[in-house]
Amino acid sequence: MFEMLFSLVMGFFFGFALQKAGLGKYHKIVNVFRFTDLAVLKFMLTTLAVAMVGVFALYTLGIVALPNIPATYLVGNLVGGLIFGVGMAGAGF
Amino acid sequence: MKLLKQKEWSPYLAGTLLGLVYVTSIAVTGIIPGASGAFENVGGLIAQALYPDLVKNTYFQFVMPPGITTAVMILLGIFIGAFVSAKLSGEFKWQRVSDSQWTRVFGNSVWKRWLVLFIGGILLEFGAGIAGGCTSGLAIGGGLFLAPSAFVFIAAMFISGIPTALLMYRRKF
Repeated sequence: MFEMLFSLVMGFFFGFALQKAGLGKYHKIVNVFRFTDLAVLKFMLTTLAVAMVGVFALYTLGIVALPNIPATYLVGNLVGGLIFGVGMAGAGF
Repeated sequence: MKLLKQKEWSPYLAGTLLGLVYVTSIAVTGIIPGASGAFENVGGLIAQALYPDLVKNTYFQFVMPPGITTAVMILLGIFIGAFVSAKLSGEFKWQRVSDSQWTRVFGNSVWKRWLVLFIGGILLEFGAGIAGGCTSGLAIGGGLFLAPSAFVFIAAMFISGIPTALLMYRRKF
């Protein structure tokens, strides 16, 4: 029950951050593939950097355990990503 | 308060907020936030009710079990959070074709936009299902652990995304 409610709160800030970054808009998403607006990359890489530093700082201090890391199966990741990219450029999600 | 009402934040600020969400979620519940899995959980639930035979396979039994999971709660939260954000900045509007860039390039035909949205949505979910996650769960959630899968996925996303945009925009690229 706690996990469910906590996830809802996490989702709230997730959606809030995405909307504030303008990523709810079609043109923001598609323009990263046209190289005219790199907001998606700036946003994604900032998130990555903050999350990396935060998670591994807490891990080094022994506060958190690492969760299951998304599995690598090259063909799947590659083919899935290729299909995903077409959808992303078209729909703009 | 003024910041909350702003239409658009710098991507660095918004990215920092999302980064903190990942850290908090992983630290407190051990869950890597993602968006695409929730659709599969709910889709599985619907299939289970209508065509139970469809979910009797490895994918729905072990990879993405049907049900109201924490991923569904995150997705629900995303809707609420984005709604509140848009309401605060006064950007919230009901529109059939919502983007001015789309209208400028492809016209304001509703069915054209909705068709591309519909097919694009199917491709997104299908691709995310095969790859094992989407931009949030795999690219960021895996990337922060330097998982190879995340970087293969990001590369593939651009390899197909760029030509798709090129084909759609042609000279206006």
